[in-house]
Amino acid sequence: MDLESNPETDVLVENGRTHAASVWIHQHSPRAFLRSAFREDRFFLILSVFIGVLSGLAVVCFRFAIDWSRLYLLGTGAVLTPVRMLLAPSLSGLVIAVLVIHFFPTSRGSGVNQTKAALYIFNGDIPIRTAIGKFVTAALAIGSGHSLGPEDPSLQIGACLASLLGRKMQLSRDRMRLIAPVGAAAGLAAAFNAPISAVLFVIEEVIGRWTAGILGSVVLSAVSSVVVMRWFLGSESLFRIPAVELKNPTELIAYAVLGVVGGLASVVFASGITTLRPKCKALPLWTQYFQPAIAGLLIGIIAMMGAPQVMGAGYEYIDQAMHGQFTWQFLAILAGVKIVATLLSFVSGTPGGMFAPTLFIGAMLGGAVGGAQHFFFPHLTGSVGTYALVGMGVLFAGFLRAPMTSVFMVLEVSGNYSIIVPVIVANTFAYVISRGLQPIAIFDLLTRQDGLELPSMEELREEDVLRVEDAMQPVEGPVLDANDKLEKALMELDHSENEDVLVRLSPSGWSTVTKEHLRQMAAQGKSQENVGSLLLNPRIPHLHPDHPLETALRYVDRWPIVPVVSRADFRKLEGVVTQRHVLERYREFGEG
Amino acid sequence: MREQEKSMATGRFGRYGFYLRQRPALLVLLSIITIAFFLAVTGLSRAHEAQRQALGNRWFNRGVADLNAKRYDAAVTEFRSALLYSQDDYSYQLNLAEALIGLKHTAEASAYLLNLWDREPENGLVNLELARIAVQRGEIDQAVRYYHDAVYAAWPRDQESNRRQARLELINLLLRIKDLGDAQGELIALAANVGEDPAQQDTIGDLFVRAGDYEHALGSYRIALRADRRNVAALAGAGHAAFQLGQYPLAQHYLQQAIAASPGDTQSAQLLQTVDMVLRMDPFRRQISAADRDKAVVDAFKSAGQRLNSCTLPVASSPGAGPPISLNDEWFAMKPHISMAELRRDPDLAEKAMDLVFRIERQSSIVCGTPAGADLALLLISKLHEGS
Repeated sequence: MDLESNPETDVLVENGRTHAASVWIHQHSPRAFLRSAFREDRFFLILSVFIGVLSGLAVVCFRFAIDWSRLYLLGTGAVLTPVRMLLAPSLSGLVIAVLVIHFFPTSRGSGVNQTKAALYIFNGDIPIRTAIGKFVTAALAIGSGHSLGPEDPSLQIGACLASLLGRKMQLSRDRMRLIAPVGAAAGLAAAFNAPISAVLFVIEEVIGRWTAGILGSVVLSAVSSVVVMRWFLGSESLFRIPAVELKNPTELIAYAVLGVVGGLASVVFASGITTLRPKCKALPLWTQYFQPAIAGLLIGIIAMMGAPQVMGAGYEYIDQAMHGQFTWQFLAILAGVKIVATLLSFVSGTPGGMFAPTLFIGAMLGGAVGGAQHFFFPHLTGSVGTYALVGMGVLFAGFLRAPMTSVFMVLEVSGNYSIIVPVIVANTFAYVISRGLQPIAIFDLLTRQDGLELPSMEELREEDVLRVEDAMQPVEGPVLDANDKLEKALMELDHSENEDVLVRLSPSGWSTVTKEHLRQMAAQGKSQENVGSLLLNPRIPHLHPDHPLETALRYVDRWPIVPVVSRADFRKLEGVVTQRHVLERYREFGEG
Repeated sequence: MREQEKSMATGRFGRYGFYLRQRPALLVLLSIITIAFFLAVTGLSRAHEAQRQALGNRWFNRGVADLNAKRYDAAVTEFRSALLYSQDDYSYQLNLAEALIGLKHTAEASAYLLNLWDREPENGLVNLELARIAVQRGEIDQAVRYYHDAVYAAWPRDQESNRRQARLELINLLLRIKDLGDAQGELIALAANVGEDPAQQDTIGDLFVRAGDYEHALGSYRIALRADRRNVAALAGAGHAAFQLGQYPLAQHYLQQAIAASPGDTQSAQLLQTVDMVLRMDPFRRQISAADRDKAVVDAFKSAGQRLNSCTLPVASSPGAGPPISLNDEWFAMKPHISMAELRRDPDLAEKAMDLVFRIERQSSIVCGTPAGADLALLLISKLHEGS
């Protein structure tokens, strides 16, 4: 930098440009640097990394807690003794009930809705007690064999930590609202060892919109938490992925069948939860002390009857299902009993997540469908493991209703892009069937059962959007050209009843003028002047037919008539909108 | 008043003044807390890891004991328990795969082995087990590939013997699928590797015989016999190989020794009988008197006639333009001239007679199958003198 100081004039010359010295010093001082670095948007990004690291550490601790809980409650071996199968989940259920009712009432449920509530209702505020409660009770529940998973609690723990940091850092209200989802992404990414899926899930299901600011923070926190998690727990996937190949495109029919079965299973699962949950909550208060214990006992009985695989998150059994260890009939039974076991755990109010059970049910169902299809159509080449892998995505799409995440989750977990077509086919069928039979997604139903009205991301995605073309009217009367002589323009306007007239500017652009104004100009002897030189508004904004109608609202109160022009040719008039037409269209839309 | 002071401060430091005083300090504090948390989790992680390792090893050792005792069911459960604590442990997975193979759960074993193969494609044992599974599934190309990898793979211990074992299995597979060329190539490589180990050379000799490479088979048996001249299997094998090579005196030598060493070896005895007949009935052998030769011709001609009686041969077209002449007609036409006196008088007659005998034996072996006894000997003699 070529920098000279002239003390006489107090002017600095930098690369030929002059600045007042005081301004330059002010802009380049350490204080200015700090000010710039700690501007809230940048500070938020720095904070996102801390949130990711702390969430990752918390999730690692959570995993240790689940492990220790399992070791001491269920034993160290892969085969469980009957006594432990019965006693561990039921006695833990009693302890969990006392903890939830007396100490951590906000730690019930999965945690996804609580994070959404923090975003939309509580300005990002989640009490740290929720995280502590979730950590303890969910670790106890999952470790003792309740059919729940660690992902959603991890998500909530991450969100709680983020919320705590946001409060301590005195962030603005806007940032505070966003900080819980940032932590949620970190928690989920660490729990699932899948940063892309975590980011997508949070964007798709919690925040519901994509902006560079949010995305940057969410990605930073998710990546930092996964790095921390892998530092401590290694980078291996939750299960070994079988070889995946699609030799014959006709096999997509088989995957479509899997999608249909998965969609129906999702509806059964979701209906079970939404039916039984309010009934359990409506039971007398004292029964809530025993509901998790009874659920645990019943799960223990299911385990004793030959399906110990339903206990806990069950990732090791997903792994075994993917590698052909079970017959397709047994896989179908496992899918069924896991739905029952998860229903019992969840509706009893035991804290824990739905992700792992969903993946478990999906994998078993996928394996069962794949195995059955192989049995009846031996020429199919897709392995049972491939169907199990696709099945996980199917339930994710059908039950959790996160279609984008469901596809990327399978891709990220499998690390194999050749599976993308079967996954998309199967997930689409599952999603469409689930949405057709149960229009409201499970998370939204649970929220409404809790008396909250949070925005449904699915409904937002599916919502009809009014566009300018819906309120656009054809042009009536003449359109003037800016180069027209006033005399000629008035002759054209003689037969028009409209008071306001559009004027096409040269070379492009639009304006309006009133007939009255033009007549006044003519009376002043300006008949030979161009219309363009007589305009009061040199230029008015224009719209395109595909603009959202709310864009038109910004203009129609200031200009009586707004031109709607083609995107290919700005001089080509497609129609006009007025305030009256816009409001009429909104009214009709509101009336359905 | 306090509000006023605050707003003055804000004014003096600009709109970021308040945060400038707060955020750096908070960030430093946050960094310290993060580092402390990180260290605490590191300690926790070590304790957790140590506990898991101890539990994993405990289950693994139990599994190994059960695997060695061929209690595959228990071994599988124990290895699975071990894997709960170290999902990616190579030896846990490998042993579980072996136990699963023991239980004939090849699909799952294969999944584990493929996973291990992805991590260490040069592991000999993994390649060998995968090859065996591929053989069971009838995936021959894959099996051959895995066997090749096993042969050239790294083995943690007993590398040479393990490689030999893998190559032996590969050769057996190649012989089974009748890929004799590749089998011979592998056998030559194997023979070069085993040195003078008589047992190995004996086995290799047998495999060379199965591959139809009698020259190398004889070589292998000879090496085996260098170490033990009374090696019955090697003597019998060498006799058989020499027989196949048409080296009948050598075959007689080895077979006689084999029978002497093992009188119950009926296969060698039968072979020796044939060899003796070949050597006795061959009129063209060296150091034979004219009378003996003529007698051998008369006997051979007689045997050929008997063969014609028991095996009806089709009529063959005559070499000239005349009507077809069968071997039977030829034999009958020549019969009045085949006597000791005629043969003595016409030295060319013996060759003509033997030529007819050989044609009869060859043709009848094609039409009626391989003969036995004197006819077999004559057939072998015909092959011995083929083209001479």
